[in-house]
Amino acid sequence: MDPASTLPILLMAAWLVPLASFVLIVLFGKYMGPHGKGAGYLSVLAIITSAIFSLIAMFGVWLPNHELPTSGHGDHNGAVSSATEESHAPTEHAAEHHETEHEYPNYSGDWYSLGEFGDLKITIGYYIDALTVAMFCMVSVIASCVHIYALGYMHDELHEPYIDHEVTLSSGEHLHRKGRFYRFFQYLSLFCFSMFGIVIAGNVAMVFVFWELVGICSYFLIGFYIERHSASAAANKAFLVTRVGDFGMLIGMMALWASVGTFAFGDMKNEQGEVTEKGLFSLLRPEEHHHHLAPPPGMIAEEERMFAGDPDGESVPAAVEEEHNTAGQWLLLIAGVGIFCGCVGKSAQFPLHVWLPDAMEGPTPVSALVHSATMVAAGVYLVGRFYPCFSPEALLVIAYVGCITLFIAATIAITATDIKRVLAYSTVSQLGYMMLSLGLGGWVAGMFHLITHAFFKGLLFLCSGSVIHAVHTNDMTYMGGLRKKMPITAYTMLIGCLAIIGAGFPLSVYGLSGYYSKDAIIEQAWSFASVNPQHAILKWAPVGGAFITAFYMFRLWYLTFAGKPRDEHRYDHAHESPRVMTGPLLVLAFFAIGIGWPIFHVNDLLEQGRPVGTLASTQGELLTNLTIPSEHDSHVPIIKQPAGIAAFSTALAGLLLASIIYLWRLLNPDELKESFKPLWGFLSNKWFFDELYDYVFVKPTLVVSHCAAWFDRNIIDSILHTAAAICRACSAVVDALFDQTVVDGTVNTFASGTWSLGLWLRRIQTGNLRQYVMFIVIGTVALFVTISIVQAYYIPTN
Amino acid sequence: MTLSDPKVYLSLLVFLPAVAALVLAILPRLADESYKWISLAVTIFVFVLTLGFFRSGGAVDFEAGVAQMQNLFNVDWIPSFGIQYFMALDGISFPLVVLTAFLSVLAMGASWPINKHVKGYCILFLLLETGMLGVFMALDFFLFYVFWEVMLLPMYFLIGVWGGPRREYAAIKFFLYTLVGSVLMLIAILMLYFNSDLTRLDAQQLAEAGIIKVAESANAENKFTDDAKAESALADWLKSDSPLAKRYAEITKEADPTQRKQLHTFNILALQQMGQHTDLFDGDALWGKSVQWWAFLLLFIGFVIKVPSVPLHTWLPDAHVEAPTPISMILAGILLKMGGYGIIRICYPICPDAGYDMAYFVCFIGVFSMVYGAFAALAQKDFKRLVAYSSVSHMGYVVLGMGVWSAVADTGFNPDYWKMGANGAMFQMIAHGISSAGMFFMVGVVYDRVHHRDLDKFGGLFAKMPVYSGLAVGIFFAGLGLPGLCGFIGEVFVVLSVWKYSYALAVISAAVVILTAGYILWAIQRVYLGAEYKGPHGEALTPITMRELSIGVPLLVLAIVFGVYPKALLDYMQPSVDMQIDRLAAWTEINHPGGSNKLGNENGQVADAWRQKINALQSSP
Repeated sequence: MDPASTLPILLMAAWLVPLASFVLIVLFGKYMGPHGKGAGYLSVLAIITSAIFSLIAMFGVWLPNHELPTSGHGDHNGAVSSATEESHAPTEHAAEHHETEHEYPNYSGDWYSLGEFGDLKITIGYYIDALTVAMFCMVSVIASCVHIYALGYMHDELHEPYIDHEVTLSSGEHLHRKGRFYRFFQYLSLFCFSMFGIVIAGNVAMVFVFWELVGICSYFLIGFYIERHSASAAANKAFLVTRVGDFGMLIGMMALWASVGTFAFGDMKNEQGEVTEKGLFSLLRPEEHHHHLAPPPGMIAEEERMFAGDPDGESVPAAVEEEHNTAGQWLLLIAGVGIFCGCVGKSAQFPLHVWLPDAMEGPTPVSALVHSATMVAAGVYLVGRFYPCFSPEALLVIAYVGCITLFIAATIAITATDIKRVLAYSTVSQLGYMMLSLGLGGWVAGMFHLITHAFFKGLLFLCSGSVIHAVHTNDMTYMGGLRKKMPITAYTMLIGCLAIIGAGFPLSVYGLSGYYSKDAIIEQAWSFASVNPQHAILKWAPVGGAFITAFYMFRLWYLTFAGKPRDEHRYDHAHESPRVMTGPLLVLAFFAIGIGWPIFHVNDLLEQGRPVGTLASTQGELLTNLTIPSEHDSHVPIIKQPAGIAAFSTALAGLLLASIIYLWRLLNPDELKESFKPLWGFLSNKWFFDELYDYVFVKPTLVVSHCAAWFDRNIIDSILHTAAAICRACSAVVDALFDQTVVDGTVNTFASGTWSLGLWLRRIQTGNLRQYVMFIVIGTVALFVTISIVQAYYIPTN
Repeated sequence: MTLSDPKVYLSLLVFLPAVAALVLAILPRLADESYKWISLAVTIFVFVLTLGFFRSGGAVDFEAGVAQMQNLFNVDWIPSFGIQYFMALDGISFPLVVLTAFLSVLAMGASWPINKHVKGYCILFLLLETGMLGVFMALDFFLFYVFWEVMLLPMYFLIGVWGGPRREYAAIKFFLYTLVGSVLMLIAILMLYFNSDLTRLDAQQLAEAGIIKVAESANAENKFTDDAKAESALADWLKSDSPLAKRYAEITKEADPTQRKQLHTFNILALQQMGQHTDLFDGDALWGKSVQWWAFLLLFIGFVIKVPSVPLHTWLPDAHVEAPTPISMILAGILLKMGGYGIIRICYPICPDAGYDMAYFVCFIGVFSMVYGAFAALAQKDFKRLVAYSSVSHMGYVVLGMGVWSAVADTGFNPDYWKMGANGAMFQMIAHGISSAGMFFMVGVVYDRVHHRDLDKFGGLFAKMPVYSGLAVGIFFAGLGLPGLCGFIGEVFVVLSVWKYSYALAVISAAVVILTAGYILWAIQRVYLGAEYKGPHGEALTPITMRELSIGVPLLVLAIVFGVYPKALLDYMQPSVDMQIDRLAAWTEINHPGGSNKLGNENGQVADAWRQKINALQSSP
């Protein structure tokens, strides 16, 4: 099968089937079986169909047609050591490296256009490479598990009426309402459609379209319990906070659009395979430059225009003249950081991480989906997809944001007692790892962690949902000892915990999936720090994070499943979940263990998706002492060994500390809480971010909005009313001064004049006939004289 | 006198509602219901007439992909002043005409709850429709003005008689604001009229202005160039017994140009040609500013009052709050579009030089309205007022998109971004026509039931009116600019085009997406979500009726269609908009070579240097 023609069709099918399911459920969901139960099956069927199409695309088309690069860890050592040396020589580094750069296969094209303006085009299209196919498989498999699980978890919604115990009406009763089983699956289908849309998107604009759709789906799902105020507030928060990120993304898009004039990732080719329109990747990394990042002329010109337009920036163009290398770099940085802002919002990175924990208000299957395969994964995916366009400085920003995020989130997770919130913060923290890795040049490591994390985090959330389903609370202080009641949940969750802390035998190839990806990230961080000693913090933060991760994950597991039950009543009612829920747990547990194993070649597949030009070590143009090392450099033993040992030992230390406190109870957690009270308070209040944002952003916005409304009512309208009053006053004055005196006066004078004239004329009405005859004679004579004079002097004779 | 004559067809389209209104007025007293049915039938018939344009191949049709005026006709009306009965359709006006006819049907359908003086209501409503359709079709400035005023009075009474408690205040406010606008417009019209001169246009330009008709048969003879064809058409026209041709011939008899009298005109297309190709409007008018500068300013103020832009917008919230639901739909859906239409049809093409000078001012007004409207919407407590302010904010995109004079942006002339902005603005007009009419209708549906609009006293509507709430949320999301719905396309096209003109304005306009999401989501939360309804008359919240459904559903469907496949609209609209931008870009190239209004360099040397640099960079490998 020809991949260029079959892949788009297969993936489009996988993408559109959930949309069809969504449309059908919107229109007919209510009528699908009792209480819309059939809608659930339809939705499950749709996502499984997607999964089948994705797997066919992977195993039937992609793998048979594209030989995976052989990147056994040892193979590269020779090439890598030379690369390390060269990376210290900033000049001509790209030229030296270009032999090692492979342009791996990718296919791009347009389906239809939203608008075309001269050379500018905004389209709906596709860009398919190894990453796309891998993401399709990952998303569809996890989503299938979540859908099936949700059939069991959302079973309550099939009851009539559904009683919502979280909502108390003003009458004091709990809310009774109709079940909304089918609505839930309707949103899930739309969610999957939107996520697939991001993955398959062939240009930034299309990413943005589906980006927003993912946002709105998460809004619907987080706010699924619309009657709960907390849920609708959380949904609003999720949408608004991610919109703040989208604002940045729009700026990045505008900068790109104005300077490069295209959004397409890949080159458009005609039927003969000739390039008709160049995409972003080849414009920013031209082949002539050996795929080294070089701002195109349009970008340089646009940047010069920008700085010249700004009166304070007069000196900048001059600087540009002197050192041509930096030309266009500022705009490139703006574009890169702008696009990354969108990812910060969606992937809940610092400083926009605040929405994700609140998003726990949604039903647990949603949390599982949002936190593993969709939404938050979208941000990391976009960084990976857009990777060739990030300049080294932008990557450094990404790395620091990731670093800060992973630390902050991990510290908050220590104190949380809500089982889902712990997992939520752990997600934020793990996403920080991915961003860190991507920012440090570890493209494969970051994307690899995205995929392994999706499986074990999906597993962890579904397990937590299983627990919540059993004990009807999220609060871990009411749990304990549950492993006896629900062994499958407990041990699959244990697998998840081990996977997330990266359990494995150090310096070997044996471990759970997280072992491979997390170690790869830490290796990359150490490799980066070895060439950039000024950024040593980026080396230690992930290691420290590994310690905290191990601690809070096992704290969670011990509090939930180990020890004695802390709430006997709940414990007695707890039971293992039905098979429709445990089945997906087992499937995901299998993946959580094995997806990283070298025999499955996920790593090699991702290597095949690596954007061309991003392997070479690169030098910053604005920050000249910044070097983004080649990812293969991290595999050299001198880095790999200490990094691996550090990762292992810190994780083990975290696990031990958690065991000391929560399993063996050698230290009393409550006493510890007392002795670290200020710190505890700070962490359990989530570093006061919500309060800070409330005071810094939300309240001032409302104040400004009230000012605007006030201004309208009291200033603009007052001016109008004043003007109206002045007009009325003027007319009153005119009325008084002019109308009543002059106009009326004239009229009155005329009237009285006429009157008195009449009175005077009355006097000649004497009744005397002789007098009348005399008047007639005088009148006739006068008339005759007048006419004669007029005729003589005024009428011309001709 | 058949329907295949555009003269008859277009006149029928415009005047049918007015004639129907007259008939209603004469008709003996009927049941209230019958008046509504008759009016509905008339609006539906008018809508069907506009749909007739889609039937290709007929004598009267509207072809997609054609930039020029279609179905053009002109008849002398008051020859001594050169006033003509002159109408046509192009890609700019045609979508607006269809939208007008469409929304009139829906608004008439939404008028069923009106029970007061139904006869009068229907008569005024139909008169209003004539006025609106006429404004979009008229190409004679005088005729345009007449329709503009015709539309004003019925609106005044519709708000003032059938409105809410403060209806008199709102109606007079609306009336005075608009009247000020029309007076300014009238002054500008007269300024332009008395400076115009048809004899200065060459044959080709006269043909463009629809004054002379280049015969189709001439096409067969290949030896003639376009110019020659136009010349021969001009000669034919001069021989005809048209009063205008006679006067033209009489004036051009005078050989000495200095002695020649001027042949004034109200023809909008001819004025456009004069604005772009002659210096007729460049003379000094007042305080060192040219005629066209003043004309542009006056017209622009007149039109932005209608749009409305901050700070001339305060009539809108009051008018909306007081107006009955169907009138709000018409007001937001169509009347506001007249401002945008005027700017793109009249302001820029007739006064390009002034538009060039004031591009930043126009864009700034647009951005300021977007931000201000969004902030003000966030603070509202009244549901309808919130929607009204959202209109102010959304129409800001229209003003901004039209003003993005990227042809002068200093990175070489690239009118593509301006095209994008202008098309985005036009798209936004239609999209806003759909979404805002929908939003007002959705507010009206609940208002009819519970008779209040206090946002804090709603909640839980989803449980009581699920289908209605689903529709309403869909339409509100269209207003929010969610992808897949119509609002997104216009907003994104406009916002993306701005950077090339001014990155500061671009950043501010992008920030509005956050505020918009804020006020719409908050409103949805307060009205539709939540456990229980908090206001009075809760028992009246019955599910949506068939009538309401058949008004809401078409709006949502259109919002989805245009959001998913914008070409459905752009195919009709874009050629005309592009042609206009191309002309203005060509004008800019000639009149401001290397022009740069922002760099403060009179000679445009900076821009020139840059352009050369780009060319050099682009030509080098």
